[in-house]
Amino acid sequence: MKIKLNSIFVDDQSKALKFYTEVLGFVQKHDIPVGEFRWLTVVSPDGPDNLELVLEPNANPAARTFQESLLEQGIPLTAFEVDDIHGEYERLKRLGVVFTREPITAGPVTVAIFSDTCGNLIQLYQPTAAP
Amino acid sequence: MCAQALLRSRVWHSANMLQQDLLRRLCRARDRLRSDDERSPSIPEVAREAGVSPFHFIRLFAAVFGETPHQHRIAARLERARHLLARGEHTVTEVCLEVGFSSLGSFSDLFTRRIGVAPSIYQRRLRTSVQVPGALPPLLIPGCFLLMCGPAGLQLAISEKHRAGPR
Repeated sequence: MKIKLNSIFVDDQSKALKFYTEVLGFVQKHDIPVGEFRWLTVVSPDGPDNLELVLEPNANPAARTFQESLLEQGIPLTAFEVDDIHGEYERLKRLGVVFTREPITAGPVTVAIFSDTCGNLIQLYQPTAAP
Repeated sequence: MCAQALLRSRVWHSANMLQQDLLRRLCRARDRLRSDDERSPSIPEVAREAGVSPFHFIRLFAAVFGETPHQHRIAARLERARHLLARGEHTVTEVCLEVGFSSLGSFSDLFTRRIGVAPSIYQRRLRTSVQVPGALPPLLIPGCFLLMCGPAGLQLAISEKHRAGPR
C-alpha cells in the first residue's frame, strides 16, 4: 500500500491550478474531466516525483464547512516543506501573496502561513538545522 | 482592475501581517457577499462592516481570496443559479431574476463564461441525465462522489437513492 495522493479542497479549480503552478511553482500532472469537475493534480519539481496533490472541488457542503471553519480559525489546511523559508517568504510576498504569519522559529521548525486564494491557509515549514 | 493585477499590486504590501481578527472579519464579509437576501449589501457597506476603507477592502479581499468582492458576489449568484437550474423547476428567466440579475443577456453571458455552457443547455443536460422519476437532482449528491465516480456513478447513485426512498 503506497501513499501517492494528498488532497486539498479548493473553491475554484481553475483559480487553484493557476495559483499552485504560477505562484507556488508546482507542475500540473492530470487534468481529466469528471462530470462537472476535473480530476486535477499537481506534482512538485522538488519531489517526491510520484506524489500528487489533488486540487479537489469543495462542492460538498461538508467540505465547504470544514474548509471555511479552518480558515476562520486561522488553521492551515496543509503544510509544504521548504529549504529556504525566508527566501520563499520574500519571493511569495513579491508575488502579492498574503501571509498571516511571517517566518517564526518554533523549536525544530521555522514556519510561515499564507492564503492560497482558494479558501485555504497553507503552512510552509523548514526544519531548523541540527546543532 | 482584474484580480491578478490587484494580487501583484504593491500598494497593499506592508510589513503588517494579516491579523487573525481581520481574517475573521474578511471571512464574515465573504459570507455577506454571498447572501441571497432581498436586500444584498453594497460593497462599501460590507467594507464598513469589516472596518476597512472600500479601497483597501477590495485590494485585501482580492489578495486573500483571489477575486474581487464584486467577482465573488457574481460567482455566488451563478452558483445559486446552477442549483436552481439543476432542480428544473424554473425557467432560465425565472432563475436569472431569482438570483439577482436584471438582464437575461448579461446573466447568460456570465453563466456561459463561468460554467462553460449556456444556462438553457445546462438545464436541459441535467434534465436528460436524470431519467428516474422522483429522483434527487445531481447537485444533492455529494460532489466528492461525483468526482470519484463520474457520470456512470451518478446514474447508479440516482437509482440507489430512488430505491432508498425520499430523505
